[in-house]
Amino acid sequence: MKYDFAVIGAGPAGYVAAKKAAGAGLKTLLVEKKKLGGVCLNEGCVPSKTLLQAAKTYHHAKHGSVFGVTVDGLNFDFPKAHAHKNGVMDKMRDGIAGLMKKYKVDVIEGEAVLQPNRKIVINGEEHEADNILICTGSSPAVPPIPGIDQDHVVDSTGILNTETLPKRLIVVGGGVIGCEFACMYASVDVPVTVLEAMPEICPNLDAEIAATLRTELEKKGVEFQLGSKVEEIGKTSVTYNDGEGSKEIEGDLVLVATGRRPNVSNLGLEDIGLEFSPRGIKVDDRGATNLPGVWAAGDITGRAWLAHAASRMAEVVVNNITGRTDRMRYDAMPAVVYTSPEVAVVGLTKEEAEERGIKTRSGRMPMAINARYIAENPDEGGLCKVVLEKETNRLLGVHMVGGACSEMIFGATAMLEAELREEEIEEIVFPHPTTSEIMKDVFMGVR
Amino acid sequence: MATPVIMPRQGQSVESCILTEWKVNVGDQVAEGDVLAVIETDKASFDLESTASGTVLALFWEADDDVPVLANVAAIGNEGEDIEEFRPEGQGSAPAPAAAAPTPAAPEAAPQATGTPAVPAPVQASGAIQASAGVSPRARRLAHKHGIDPETLPGSGPEGRVIERDVEAAISGRPRLSATAKARSLSGDFETPARGTGLAGMVRSQDLKVPGSVEGAEVTPLKGIRKVIAERMIQSLHTTAQLTLHASFELSRAQAYRKERLDAGQSKVSLNDVIAHAIVKSLGEHPALNAHFLGDRIATFEKVHLGVAVDTPKGLLVPVIRDASEMSIEKISAEVKNLAGACREGTISPDNLSGGSFTLTNLGMLGVETFTPVLNAPEVAILGVGGIVLKPKRTESGEVEYVDTLPLSLTIDHQAVDGAPAARFLQSLVERLENNPGT
Repeated sequence: MKYDFAVIGAGPAGYVAAKKAAGAGLKTLLVEKKKLGGVCLNEGCVPSKTLLQAAKTYHHAKHGSVFGVTVDGLNFDFPKAHAHKNGVMDKMRDGIAGLMKKYKVDVIEGEAVLQPNRKIVINGEEHEADNILICTGSSPAVPPIPGIDQDHVVDSTGILNTETLPKRLIVVGGGVIGCEFACMYASVDVPVTVLEAMPEICPNLDAEIAATLRTELEKKGVEFQLGSKVEEIGKTSVTYNDGEGSKEIEGDLVLVATGRRPNVSNLGLEDIGLEFSPRGIKVDDRGATNLPGVWAAGDITGRAWLAHAASRMAEVVVNNITGRTDRMRYDAMPAVVYTSPEVAVVGLTKEEAEERGIKTRSGRMPMAINARYIAENPDEGGLCKVVLEKETNRLLGVHMVGGACSEMIFGATAMLEAELREEEIEEIVFPHPTTSEIMKDVFMGVR
Repeated sequence: MATPVIMPRQGQSVESCILTEWKVNVGDQVAEGDVLAVIETDKASFDLESTASGTVLALFWEADDDVPVLANVAAIGNEGEDIEEFRPEGQGSAPAPAAAAPTPAAPEAAPQATGTPAVPAPVQASGAIQASAGVSPRARRLAHKHGIDPETLPGSGPEGRVIERDVEAAISGRPRLSATAKARSLSGDFETPARGTGLAGMVRSQDLKVPGSVEGAEVTPLKGIRKVIAERMIQSLHTTAQLTLHASFELSRAQAYRKERLDAGQSKVSLNDVIAHAIVKSLGEHPALNAHFLGDRIATFEKVHLGVAVDTPKGLLVPVIRDASEMSIEKISAEVKNLAGACREGTISPDNLSGGSFTLTNLGMLGVETFTPVLNAPEVAILGVGGIVLKPKRTESGEVEYVDTLPLSLTIDHQAVDGAPAARFLQSLVERLENNPGT
């Protein structure tokens, strides 16, 4: 079959691209080897957030006494939480399927192999397209740790399908995924130890924000072993070296969360002469590869590793295919850690800006000065930091930890995209009483 | 009483100098002899030194202005002193096209105190302002509706009158700027692209470019000596019919001559001096190459005025040894040394940078074997000297031996000189260098 546009992979890049292209009148094909929605919907964002909410609800019920709420006979029914999770995923998948139907996108289940001249073989059948978008996403990286091939050792996909609570969870890797699962299990009273090789968790975050998050997770019972390298995973324990020697820690469930790798294999990329490496397919800021008519978006490009970045990359590709100039910008790309409290950041940290030779002004305030915040989160610390360019007063970055700050980071993103300066931001009204007011307070205190 | 500093006369042939760069600001304290500015003629660049001590009260010209010699360029004195009487006509009063109407060299005298308001004039402005022709009422209404100052638009109506369509063009071509980009664009001279890299093509601050900038490159405006060289070179290639003849001469005799001089206690001369001297002598026998091609006539010079190309930090300069025909090799050697030194130090008089009848250029010491020199038009010939080349040579006995040779490249203007006479000149030159160097 001949298509205007073929999309390989139905994750947050793929289905967004398919819908947008079909909406613009292109005859569109969407190929998926597993399930519509990709990692985000089936193995990542959506199921993890559902289970995190389950854990958070339990935690609030257990610790509601400050609000005068006490519960007798509190119970956490993990299989029921999973059922809710599965229900949410089904609903979202149905939504995507319905959307594809509505926009008359042909959806084929199967593995696609690329051929020269923009041909694709799926399930033994050859198809052709004027433009092809490769968005096959990523998979959890498997580090070479002895003992990693055991049943009780899982990756982020495996742990989302684990319906019994362990006696003790060991998390290898203190990045975003590791912290989210550590928070979830600790919230439902499972002892958790996180082993992180770096001196601080989430090394991509502002160091003070990361340290605040760690302190809050420690309050929930998460134990962190920083600067610790895992040596071996045993049947009931994990051996690690924290620089002072080998140590052993007991645990019956081990989550390995040491990053992700782009899915570049088995696509025929070598055969068509596409420029790529194990770190991803090389694209320009329009998502174009080295081959005309072949595009890539999302984790497969090895950039951003975020569902919303993948969707935006896909939009950029379709815009360029349909004649609208558009390019990918990463400088206002928000990133969130869905722990309790949440972390939400966008733009440069002060250190990043200064590394680039930009002189800065900055401000910081604890969330504890915010009325709504301490009313709702009496025992939780939090922090908001703002970075401005000294010369122009332009906003460079906003970095927050506290409460549900993921819901307000888009405001800072919009300010960054519009290149607003302190002068403009000062005139924006923030609703009272909301946690978002902390941003305004920090802006007013910048020096 | 304030004192004016004037643009000095740099040689008899110079009528004006480009003021390339101010080294002081109004309000600075200067002493006599301090450098106020850098100035350039079409041949060389100089420091303009203060002729008075005190506070800089006024700078009458802007960088890159072409300033007539003897015109006032600055006023030095005590703060508060009146400097209006020193202001050159047209500088700092009404908008003045500085380069177009240089003040006739009537400097220290002629107090042109006109009492004109000292409004800084947009000297050499972009030409967009057509205030005299006015703005049509419809254009004005539309412009104000869109927050545009119609006076700043180029007018396409009669005599440059700004009409409605000019305003429409300005509105449609106006890019959307982010808050930061807008603030930044007002703070300096930037080029705004029609479409930026931000939201839906919004222009972000990073999209503003310094006018004329090139991505990934450092851009320097073409001015001073570089500009002159550029103009001269392309003019040379456009107006002459260049033909280059290659030959070489055996070095042994010339080298022996240099050594004999030293052994006899005479002054040291360079190989280049030996060649310069030989050129002068040979040109005496071949005057057709000692000439200027002037389009409809040819000026053949009685004497040789030998230009010698000199590499200086600011670029190529060609000082001229005037009346070289009568000079001994010692005299030529001394002249070359003096002139080249003055060029490198920037103290050469512009009068010594013009009037050549033939040019010698040498890249041999930089490892160049041969090259094709570009004529220093309107001169009809230029000789390029390359680097030493070891060549086989058949001796009279029929054996082959290796000898050091020096390549010579003679470029001629075929409009004025034919190949054969040029070859004969080259032949005579080689013969002289191989047999009678220095005489």
